[in-house]
Amino acid sequence: GGPRLPLRRRLAVAGAVAGAAAAGWLYVRHQKERRQRSRRLRDLRALALGQGDFQLRDTAGTARSKADFLGRWVLLYFGFTHCPDVCPEELEKLSRAVELLERDPALPPVQPLFVTVDPERDDEAALARYLRDFHPRLVGLTGTPEQVRAAAAAFRVYVSAGPRDADGDYVVDHSVLTFLVDPDGIFRDCYSRSRTAEEVARSVRGHMDTYEPLPL
Amino acid sequence: AAGMAAPTMEERKACWGARDEFWQCLDSHGDDAAKCEKLRRAFESRCPQQWVKHFDKRRDFLKYKKKLETEGFHPPEAAGKS
Repeated sequence: GGPRLPLRRRLAVAGAVAGAAAAGWLYVRHQKERRQRSRRLRDLRALALGQGDFQLRDTAGTARSKADFLGRWVLLYFGFTHCPDVCPEELEKLSRAVELLERDPALPPVQPLFVTVDPERDDEAALARYLRDFHPRLVGLTGTPEQVRAAAAAFRVYVSAGPRDADGDYVVDHSVLTFLVDPDGIFRDCYSRSRTAEEVARSVRGHMDTYEPLPL
Repeated sequence: AAGMAAPTMEERKACWGARDEFWQCLDSHGDDAAKCEKLRRAFESRCPQQWVKHFDKRRDFLKYKKKLETEGFHPPEAAGKS
């Protein structure tokens, strides 16, 4: 028989082979994880755009969709101008929450949005008139009945117009919720009637603190 | 039906004020609407009819809620239920 490698040498070779195999396996796994991560990010980005998207018009008549608000935090409320009390109160609260957040110069600006659930009556002019009384940066959105229906459905907001009276007047029953959307267009939180402006501001600040932008 | 314009902020506040006065009257007269006719009429004149209906329902709800809080919940007799 030929010379045999000493035990130590054989162990070293076996160790090197095992090490190379392990390194190779780790590399393959790392690459797989990277691909999975990037696929997940792609899905998340598509989900963010698809989730809660809308095709509406602002009070200047300009077409607006969710993509127009990417890069900003958004607080969005669904309501209507003929609303007896809830909508003015919720809009006051929304305005106040935004004002509280504005006091901290370290925080990014929040975009308040109002989407009508009564497109038949709430056209651009009606919205502009109504929203004048609230936060100066509050943007109002309206659209065709189909567009508004789709926007409400995208946010799972219940909308039901009541019966018309002799004057043709009616109220619209709807979910009372303010939605928080992050700069990637991802839905982050929603605030019911029972939350105060201070609580909303505190919650938004908390989300801003933990926010990590989706890498490009 | 794009009939009347929505109430302005001033009109809303006038309506809410009239409502509150009417409700205060009801509170101090044990909900005897007959004692508060004048305020009821003022309330109805200051608010759209749809809002009057809405606030009437709201008052009923608030009173029912108060009743639950003070008296507790007594489920109605369920006659004929197995």
